[in-house]
Amino acid sequence: MRIMFHSSVALKTASVAAMLIAANLCAAETIKLGLSVPLSGAAANWGKGSDWLCAKAAQEIKAQGGIKVQGQTHQFECVSYDNQYNAAEGTKVAQALVMRDGVQFVVGSIGTAPVRALQSLAERKNVLLFTVAWGASIKGPKFPFTFSSMNTPLEISEPMISFIKKQHPEIKTVAMLNPNDATGQEAEKVTKAAWEKNGAKVLVSDLYERGTSEFQPIAARLNAVKPDLVDLGAVPPADVGLIFKELKSLGWNGVKVVEAGTGADGLLATGKDAVEGTYLGAAIPANSMTPHQKELDEGMRKATGEGVNAVQIGAYDAVWAIKAAMEKAQSIDPVAVAKTMPTVKFKSFYGETGFGGKDIYGSDQQMLLPVIITRLTGSTLQEVGRVER
Amino acid sequence: MQEVFQLLFTALQISAVYILFSLGLTLIFGVLKVVNFAHGQLFTFGALVLSLTMGALAPSLGHGWAAYLVAGLAGLAACLAVGLVIYQFGFKRLERDMTGSFILSAGLVLLFEGLMLEVFGGAVRPVPALLEGNVQMLGLMVSRQRLVLLVFAVLLTAAILTLLRYTRFGKALRAVAIDYEAAMLQGIAYRRIALYGFLMACALAATAGMLIAPVAAVTPTLGDAYLVKGFIAVVVGGMGSIVGAVAGSLLIALLESFVGFYFDPSIANLAIFVIVMVVLLVKPKGFFGND
Repeated sequence: MRIMFHSSVALKTASVAAMLIAANLCAAETIKLGLSVPLSGAAANWGKGSDWLCAKAAQEIKAQGGIKVQGQTHQFECVSYDNQYNAAEGTKVAQALVMRDGVQFVVGSIGTAPVRALQSLAERKNVLLFTVAWGASIKGPKFPFTFSSMNTPLEISEPMISFIKKQHPEIKTVAMLNPNDATGQEAEKVTKAAWEKNGAKVLVSDLYERGTSEFQPIAARLNAVKPDLVDLGAVPPADVGLIFKELKSLGWNGVKVVEAGTGADGLLATGKDAVEGTYLGAAIPANSMTPHQKELDEGMRKATGEGVNAVQIGAYDAVWAIKAAMEKAQSIDPVAVAKTMPTVKFKSFYGETGFGGKDIYGSDQQMLLPVIITRLTGSTLQEVGRVER
Repeated sequence: MQEVFQLLFTALQISAVYILFSLGLTLIFGVLKVVNFAHGQLFTFGALVLSLTMGALAPSLGHGWAAYLVAGLAGLAACLAVGLVIYQFGFKRLERDMTGSFILSAGLVLLFEGLMLEVFGGAVRPVPALLEGNVQMLGLMVSRQRLVLLVFAVLLTAAILTLLRYTRFGKALRAVAIDYEAAMLQGIAYRRIALYGFLMACALAATAGMLIAPVAAVTPTLGDAYLVKGFIAVVVGGMGSIVGAVAGSLLIALLESFVGFYFDPSIANLAIFVIVMVVLLVKPKGFFGND
C-alpha cells in the first residue's frame, strides 16, 4: 500500500514535470509578436493587411529554419488587437498585449494617438515597439524601445515636395488639409515648412475630423483660395478621392499631392477620374515590383481586396528586423534586442536595409527605406522618382 | 453673393441625405418610442448590397439605369428582410422601452459592423456614378450625380409627407405616434402599423444609403457619421416630428456648409454639437417636439 502510494506520487510528479518541461520548450520555441492596429472602421484594411503580412513573414522565417539563438530555434506567432485608431482603445490594447498576453515585441502599431498609449507602457516594461505612426514626437533618445518601420513626413515631405516643385516650377500657391489628430497635426507642420522652404506660399492649411462624410464644404473652402496645388498630407485614400472629386466638380484642376498616399485602389474607388495625375508618397507601384513583392501583393489582394501598401509593409519589415537583431544579439531579451537593433542589416520588403535617423531624431531608430514618388496615370501608379536613403 | 448661393446649394445637397436618414429615425421613434442606433447599419447595408449587385450585373447590364434599378431593388429587399428579422425578434419585444432598445440597437451595431466587415471586407467598394460630369446652373457648378440625388431625395420626401398626411395608413401611423392606446381604441391595428412604420424606416435608410453610394466611400462604416448627424437632426427638430427631422437636417447642413467654409471644417463639427446643447437647454423637446 505504502509503495503504491509512493508510485502514484512519483507518477504524478513525473507527469507534472514533463508538462512543465514541455510548456517551457514550447515557450522557448514560439515568440509572440503583438500588433495594435485598426481592425474595424475606415482604416480596417491597414490593420488586416498588417496582421496578414506579420503572419506571412513569420511563415517565411519558419520555412527558412526559424530564429536561431544560442542553439535554440524559435518561431514567431502574431497576435493582433483592434485599437480602432483611437487613444482610448489603444490603451486597452496596450494593457491586453503587454500585461495580459505578456508580449515583449510589438511589430505593428498604427495611429499616433493609440501608439502613444501603447508606448507609455511599452517603454516602462521594456517592450520593443515597432510603429508606422507618423508622429515625430514618439521617436528619439527618450524612447529607446521604439522603432519606426515606415517613412514619415520628415523622410517623405522634403524630398517629395522638392521633386514636385522641380516638375512643376509654376506652382506658387498651395492649399493644405490634414486630419485633426496627432498624425495630421504633426504632418501639417513638417509639410507646411517644406512647401515654404521650396518657395511656395501656403494659402490655407485646415484640419478636418476623421469620419467626415460630406466633403463639399471642405472642397469649397480649398477651392475658394484658388491654389495651384492641393496637398492632402495625411488624409486617408478614400477621403482623398472624395475631396478631389468635389474639387473637380467645382472646376478646380491643379496639381494634386498626398504624402501619405499608400495606394491607388482607395483613391480610384471614390475619386474615379478626378484623381488622375495625383502624386503619392507612400505607395508601391505594381510595375516595378520584384517577383517576391508581387507574390505578397497578390496575397494581400486575396486577403483584403486591395494591394499591398507601405503602412502594412511596416509589420512585415519589423518581423525580419527583430529576427536579425535577435540572431545578432544571440538573445531574445527585448533589452538586448533593442540595443542591437540600430546596428543590424536585414532583408526588408524593399531590399537590404538598416536603421538611421540620428541627425533628425537624435537616435538611430528610423528604418532606412526608399522614398518612392508615384503618380496615378489612368488606373495605375507609375514610379516617377525615388530617393534612396 | 455667388459664394453664398454656392454654399446654400451645397447645404441643400448635403441635407437631402440627412433628411432621408433622419425621417427613418424619427418614424421609428414615433411608432415604437425607441431610438434605433442600428439605423446607420441598414443605411450602410443598402449601399454595400448595391455595390455588390452593380459589380455582378456590370458584365450583362453595364452601369446604366437598368443595372441601378435592379441593384437598388436588391438593396431594398435585403434591408427590408433584415429589418423584418430585427423587428420580429428584437424591437417588437422592446417597444416603448428606451433602455432595452438602447442595449439591443447598440448590440446590433457591433454585430452588423463585424458581419459586414467579414462579408464585404474593409476596402472601399466603388459604385459608378449614374450620371458623370458637371452642369452649370444659375452660375453654379453642380455635379450631375449630386443633382440626381437631390431631386430623388426631394421627390421621396414629398411622397412620404403626402403619404403621412393624406392616406389612411399615414393617418393611422400619425395616430399611433400621438397616442397608441387611443389609436387602438379607434380600431387601428397598432402592431401592424408599427411593423409597417419600422419597415418604412428601413426602406428609407436603404434608399438614402444607395443614393449617396456613388459619391461616398462605401465601406462597412459608411453609416456611422450619418447616424450622428441624423440623430442630432432628430433631437434638434424634435423626436418623432417629421417637420422637425426636415428642419433639423437643413440646420445641420447649413452649419456644416457655412461654418465649414468661413471658419474651419473642425469648427463646423464643434458648432453642430454646441447648437444641440443650446437647443436641449432652451427647448429640451426640440423645435417641433411635443409631449
